This record gives sequence, structure tokens and C-alpha cells, in this order.
Amino acid sequence: MKRIGVFICHCGTNIASAVDVKKVAAVAATWAGVVFATDYQYMCSDPGQELIRKAIKEHRLNRVVVASCTPRLHEPTFRKTVESVGLNPYLFEMANIREQCAWVHAKDKEGATAKAIDLVRMAVAKAERNFALSAAKIPVTKRALIIGAGIAGMQAALDIADSGYEVVLLDREPTIGGNMVKLDKTFPTLDCSA
Amino acid sequence: MVAAAQHPQIKLMTYAEVENVAGYVGNFEVTIRKKARSVDASKCTGCGTCWEKCPTKVDSEFDLGLGKRKAIYLPFPQAVPAVPVIDREHCRQFTRGKCGVCQKVCPAGAIDYNQQDEIVTEKFGAIVVATGYELFKWEEVYGEYGYGKYPDVITGMHFERMNSASGPTGGKIIRPSDGKEPKTVVFVKCVGSRDEAKGKSYCSRACCMYTAKHAHQVLEKIPGSKAFVFYMDVRTPGKAYDEFYERTVHEGAIYVRGRVSKIFPEGEKLIVRGEDTLLGRQVEVAADLVVLATAMVPSRGWEKVARMVNLATDKDGFFQEAHPKLRPVETFTAGVYLAGACQGPKDIPDTVAQASAAAAKVCNLFSRDEMTTDPMTAQVDESLCSGCAMCQPICPYKAIEMKTITERVAGKQVSRQVAAVNSGLCQGCGACTVACRASALNLKGFTNEQILAEVDAVCL
Repeated sequence: MKRIGVFICHCGTNIASAVDVKKVAAVAATWAGVVFATDYQYMCSDPGQELIRKAIKEHRLNRVVVASCTPRLHEPTFRKTVESVGLNPYLFEMANIREQCAWVHAKDKEGATAKAIDLVRMAVAKAERNFALSAAKIPVTKRALIIGAGIAGMQAALDIADSGYEVVLLDREPTIGGNMVKLDKTFPTLDCSA
Repeated sequence: MVAAAQHPQIKLMTYAEVENVAGYVGNFEVTIRKKARSVDASKCTGCGTCWEKCPTKVDSEFDLGLGKRKAIYLPFPQAVPAVPVIDREHCRQFTRGKCGVCQKVCPAGAIDYNQQDEIVTEKFGAIVVATGYELFKWEEVYGEYGYGKYPDVITGMHFERMNSASGPTGGKIIRPSDGKEPKTVVFVKCVGSRDEAKGKSYCSRACCMYTAKHAHQVLEKIPGSKAFVFYMDVRTPGKAYDEFYERTVHEGAIYVRGRVSKIFPEGEKLIVRGEDTLLGRQVEVAADLVVLATAMVPSRGWEKVARMVNLATDKDGFFQEAHPKLRPVETFTAGVYLAGACQGPKDIPDTVAQASAAAAKVCNLFSRDEMTTDPMTAQVDESLCSGCAMCQPICPYKAIEMKTITERVAGKQVSRQVAAVNSGLCQGCGACTVACRASALNLKGFTNEQILAEVDAVCL
């Protein structure tokens, strides 16, 4: 049984001035599978995230949809939020009603609201079919290759090597040093470069 | 340099080039060509007898032709490692098949004319690209400055070599044409930089400061000398930078705001004609030496490096960082980082800071034994896969390979080909899933079913 929670963000006035967020939440609450829907000023804020956590526990939610900004910004935030109360982060779904809705339809509240409802409906449909995913582990070879042994390559090599890792410092020339060793004194302190 | 050479955790591979990079973050397999030095590094003591006795002299690349080197040579006295290399293009043993002087005189028996290039493949977890810059070839385009045919029109790098105590002139500033000490030196900034017509649109960032340093060195080393600097703007944004420039001006360097339109010889002198835009009139300086501050451009071979490690470049060939402000040392290839002027022109303080930042990213990666990958990768349903291999060339990350599976069909063992995704290489772009005619490929988290459900939700 899918128990979906829908959370509509105002983003201050960024979304709320163009989209009737209360209406979006009210409409979403009527859809099959949606057991909880609400709106809040800033979903990404600490109280906003707490609201999501509380709702997951109280309403035994197993899917979460947040309608707010671009996932590039806060998808990682909300994935962590749901994970912190035991939900697989990939059961979370995000609808972008800011960049792709409120900001581009700022002068058409009715149209923007209708589009926001559509976007949230899509996210809910996807959330219903979301399944738990787990990250794979791959081994790491703790050895670095540095291509170019000028001042940049040498500095990076020293810093990595000083942390205890093995470094191969490669250069096509017969010596290390790059352009830097050709320089006489260097500005602004006029110390030597070799 | 010595610190890097002596560090127990740093292995030097000089006179070597990267031939191929395979694998992915944490697990790169890099093929390296160790070019033949013709000298056995394990035997060589760096005593120098070979290059003293070598009969062939050629222009030194390290000194930009201002000095000579032998056919078996160290680029400069403090070179690391102190193992010479034979330049096979000029060595008589290779060009004429006889000479053998270095082999005869080497007390360690280290000279090996038959040494071959060696190809090795090694495993690495991370790669730092620090391929640097070279100078813009002004000789090819700046006809008004003489296309490089006047020996006393040189670049800032030539000037550096002359100032070096271990350089071709032992630290003396001279005119390359006659070896005389120049009394009037003219510096021309922005040669190739900020010049879209002939060079590059960008500012090379270091030239304003090194030109101020060069003018200071002229005034300091040559009594009674004059230093003129033709400039477009003086850009000195850095700690203690503007103070340094002001100091040079107070020492007597004459800054002229304007471009140089022509340099031509007149007797022993070079006449530098330009405009002083602050006075609004033409000026002419009779110079003994002209030093051009040429633009920084990506080091030759940048195209090959970009192709091998899958780096994006800007219009001028500098490697593209993942984000200009927030991810300045990362690239779009996970596990590959940038340091120094290969990412864009910069001076030493900025280069060192960026190199340390790249090192921090590498250490961050190495701080864990295993790394977690994004689970949103492509997945093959082997029961649907027809083995057509359409997906393989479409994958931009080379993450798909074909494998053979054996299954029981109607009581018989049958083998067939299916696609297999390497989740370490897969970046979850989804290109393969649309190419798959059998719908056997799905992106986890963006399956065909999930996407169709979204379409249905908005259309039905």
C-alpha cells in the first residue's frame, strides 16, 4: 500500500506569489494514494524538514513528494531528510514548481497554479512507482597520477604525498620543474624559483 | 623541486608520456610510454663526463636558443633527476652511425644506444592534470614587431633566462645580437593577450607583474639604464602586487599608456613607435632591447590530453572546470582534477593554491577504502536483451561492454551475447535506454515505466 505525502513549498514569495500553493495542496490531498498534503513557507529550512519528518512518522508515509525549486538545489537535502527517519532516499520525488513554473509564469496565477498541479500529479505518479535503490561500493586505488611536473604538479604531488598516499609525478621533459624553473626571481617577493 | 624529488612517497617519471587512460574514478588504468633516454638511470651517477666530451652542440631548448647544449645533455645544471638524455635527432651515433664518445668516457657504463621506449600500464585512483602553458607564438602574426627576425626583440621568458645566474649569460642582461649591455630597454605588454584581431581575447594575468619585475631588474642591474613599459592597463590585483608596481615606478620605470604600432631597426638601435594615449600623441623610443610580454596559451598536446581523459575545453584549449565558482578544480570526469595554468592563465600564488585544492580533493577521495556510486545507473534485463550492441557506441562513458551468457533453452545449453553495464563508469545519462530497441535497458530511478507514468499523469 503506497502512502504518499505531498509538501508544497512557498519559497517565501518566489513560488507563492505566482502559484496558489494552498489550492495545489488541497487538490493533491484528494488523489488516490495521497494520505497527507500540506504547504509551508520554506520546506528546505530546519522547521520545514522537521515538518516532513513528523508527517512521515505520524502518517506512516512511505513515499514523499516535495514541490519546490530545482532538484539541482535541494534534492540532496530532502533525500537526507527522508533518510534520517528511515525511508530509502530514492523513494523521495521532487517537482520543480519554481524555475519551471512560478518564475516563468509570474503574471498568470491561474495558469501557473494549474501547471503546478500537473507537475505535482506527475511527481506523485512517479513516486508511486519509485523503488528503493542502494548505492554500490567500488574500491579505490590510493595512488595518484600527476600529469605535468611544473609548479602545479609538484605542489599537488607534495600535498598528496604528505598525506601518506603514493604519487607518480610524470613529465614529458627529461626533468621536473616545468616553466617555473626557467624563471629567475619571482614577484612580488623576488625570491628564487628553483 | 628537490622536496618533490626526495619525497619517499613520490615516484618521478620524467621523459614519459601518457598514451592511454582507461577505467574510472578510483580505478584508472593508465598506459605510459617511458621514452628511451639512451642512458641507464640505475647506473648513471650524473658525473657529467659524457656531456663535457660530447662533440655535438645544438641550441638549448631550456634557454630558448640563447645558449647551447650538447647532444647528450641535462636541460639545466640542477635538473631532477640528474640523469642526462641523448637527443637522437642530433647525436652523431644515431645520425651517422658512428661516434660513441659518451659510451667510451662514461665511467659507470651507463650509456645504452639500444635502449627502447618502454610501455607500462599502472593503476591509479585519481589523476591530476597539471600540463601548464606555453607562450603564444608571436613571431607568426606580429609583423609590426618584426616576425621574430630582429634578434634583440625577445620574450619575457628569454629575459628570465638571461637574468638567471645559471642561465646562458650568467645572469647578465645583454643584447642577443652583439652581447652588449642594453641601456634602454622597452617592454611591450599584451602581445597576444587582449588582442582578438591577432591573438587571444583573454588577459594572461601574470604579465603586468613580471613586466614590473623585469623593469625593476633592468634598473637595478644596469647603471644609468632606462626602462620603458608600453601598456594597455596595469592590472595588479593581488596581495602586495600594486605596491610592487608602484615601487618599480618610483625606481624610475617610465610607463607609457598605449600600444606599440611598429618596431624597426635604425643603426644599432630598434625604434619603438607607439602612441601615448594619455598625452594624445605619438612617441618614439630608440631602444637597445625590446621585451615582449607574450600571452599564455595551453601547452602543446592539450588536445590529446583532453581526448584521453575526457576533458572539456574552452575556445582557447584551456581545460574546463566542473563549475567556474563552486567546483574550480574538479572536471566532468569523476576522479580527474585540474591544477595550474592548464585550466586558465594564472600566476604562481594562484597556481599553488589551486594545486593544493586539487590535492585536497584527491586526499578526500583516498580517505575512504571504498566509494559509493550514484545508484541511478543503467541496468540490463538480460532476458530482453537481443545482443544487438546498439547501446555500446552510444555510451559516452564507454560503460557498456558485451558479454556472453549461457542459458538453458528447450533442454539445451545455448550461449548468446548481451550488454553489460559497468556501474563504476556509468554516469546515468540515459542515452542507452532510448537507443535500446528491445527496452532491455532501463535507468534505475528513471525507468521507462516511471517516465510513462509521469506522461500518463499529465496527458490522460
